[in-house]
Amino acid sequence: MDQQMREDLLKLFQTKLNRAMVYYLETCTRCGVCTTACHVYQSMPQARYIAAYRAEIVRRIYKKHFKGQGKLWPSYGEAKELTEAALQELYDAAYSCTGCRRCMVYCPFGIDTQMLMSIAKLLLVGAHAEPEILTLLADTSIEKGRSLEFFKEGFLQGVKNLEQKVVEKWKLEAEGKTVIPVDVEGAELLYVALAGAHSIIPAAAVFNAAGENWTLSFFEAVNFGAFVGDPTRTKLILDRIVNEALRLKVKEVCICECGTAYRVMKQLSGTQPFKVSSVTEVHARYLREGRIRVSKKAFEGQVVTYHDPCQIARNGGVLEEPRFILQHLTDDFREMAPDPRYNYCCGGGGGLVALGEDTLDFRMKSAKVKAEQVQKTGATVLATACENCHTQLSDLNRHYGLGLNVQFLTSMVADALVVS
Amino acid sequence: MQTAYYLVLVPMVYAAFAVFVLGTVWRLVQTARRPAHPTTLQIFPKKEPAWLYAVGDTFLMPSIFRHSPVLWFFLAVFHVAVLLLIIGHLELFGDWPIFQLVPHEVFLGRGFVGLVAAVSVLYLFFRRFHAPVRDLSVPEDYYLLILLFLTIIFGSQMDWARRWYDYDVMGVSAYRAYLWSLVMLKPFVPDEILYSGHAFMLVLHVFFANLFLMVFPFTKMMHTFLALPMNLLRRG
Repeated sequence: MDQQMREDLLKLFQTKLNRAMVYYLETCTRCGVCTTACHVYQSMPQARYIAAYRAEIVRRIYKKHFKGQGKLWPSYGEAKELTEAALQELYDAAYSCTGCRRCMVYCPFGIDTQMLMSIAKLLLVGAHAEPEILTLLADTSIEKGRSLEFFKEGFLQGVKNLEQKVVEKWKLEAEGKTVIPVDVEGAELLYVALAGAHSIIPAAAVFNAAGENWTLSFFEAVNFGAFVGDPTRTKLILDRIVNEALRLKVKEVCICECGTAYRVMKQLSGTQPFKVSSVTEVHARYLREGRIRVSKKAFEGQVVTYHDPCQIARNGGVLEEPRFILQHLTDDFREMAPDPRYNYCCGGGGGLVALGEDTLDFRMKSAKVKAEQVQKTGATVLATACENCHTQLSDLNRHYGLGLNVQFLTSMVADALVVS
Repeated sequence: MQTAYYLVLVPMVYAAFAVFVLGTVWRLVQTARRPAHPTTLQIFPKKEPAWLYAVGDTFLMPSIFRHSPVLWFFLAVFHVAVLLLIIGHLELFGDWPIFQLVPHEVFLGRGFVGLVAAVSVLYLFFRRFHAPVRDLSVPEDYYLLILLFLTIIFGSQMDWARRWYDYDVMGVSAYRAYLWSLVMLKPFVPDEILYSGHAFMLVLHVFFANLFLMVFPFTKMMHTFLALPMNLLRRG
């Protein structure tokens, strides 16, 4: 790595040094309480998978380049120069961390490992050493926001094809009504889905059953910018949806079952004239207000458990709503962890699932403890409310032969709808 | 020799306090002036009042109690002992009615506070020789514990000599005279300190304490001040 490159990367590092980040960099006492927090360490007990060890990889570079200590007496804190080898270490740390923040519950100070890993991810982006596919996907999303007209026709045609399926399956009246409204100005609710029928069809059925005045977003919710840890791209991807919501003057933006999208939208969109909800929260509200009715017949005789997606539950605060919904769907619901803060990550967060086959082996090995946690519940149906989690849990189901029926919570609600 | 003692007991003490106070304030101000993180960093579910839970997290360390009870025990003993030792040092400046609610001879605890502090530091030190903490530790972690141990052992030794072995040459009145002279900026080291056979114990205690104070603002010791604001972030 030449001097210029190093300086450029350190400038990127500098942009991350807000107050909270400095707290996290300065404070770790390396007490080791976080050791057993990480599902990766639990499944493969190697020191490099301990949260404090991952953090120290970033911290060593901080000490070397941003602290007098690292210049005067580098061996004191094992300060380390930013080199190619250091970048490789950063990669290994950041892309074996799913950003679930379970370790933050263990840490006596509450150090946020996901935040420290965001430095590693940003440096990798700066050095063009990040997983390219994530940047490509992020750029595709951004491009779609820039040249919507180009995508519009194809999108609308796709939506038309889905409408028929909604009507067929749920026998919803469709006379004179659009089953999947798009681009409706003044709608109450903007639903931001994923690119995939499974994310649109059941949601449309529930919205229509509830008589919601809704409209479907042109954009997919997922934020690859957040996965790859690029704040600029994250913001650009987010802004597409914010601008659409403002243009349509909606009162609520409802994010589909995607943990990252929900947390980014909820926490990063700033003060806006609309509120941000997850589809789980909206469905719970419909049930509470009696706007939809569901029957327990659809899952009769099944034992149901629920996997809390980290970004929605521990990091997003949607904890009661899925349980409230499941009470209406089954009489046999079993918790995975006595305290939902301690629920293990599925092992697919932080962009690992988006990296597909490349990470499959690691994902399966590192989430052994998750598979065991699920198995212990004795459940036959494993519900979750996040696309990433669903993919990863389905992979785990296959890999460990768990024999589970892995379900999206929205699909379960849609399947159990009582349409009068 | 007396010159060396004097250098440690007077100029170095002033230097150490200056570095400690100015360094700590400078580092805290520098950190506080940085921009806040744009989003919440809390962990859910949120419990109210969040600040009270954050105070609880900081001073009772419930997560350590839950996941590593033995470590919690020694950490709790260590931190409480250090607090009592700090109170003991304040009492070397004069009588504090509030501390005498439990009537005692200075220092509190008949010498045992220093002993348990030293033992708990040894525990914290030796646990770093075992995996997985060994893999996480950096030299700083050992250096600071060694420095703390040396400070505590030489300091306690003087208490032990008085309490357990009837040593009475250097006593509280001599320390008071010495410490007040430092405060009044008219430094003076009483003869019973400077020429006592145990003087080197005091000098070593002060020397290591000086070193500790001087590195404090630039090391992980800053967790003393940052633990609470960090827990506030987590509690939201």
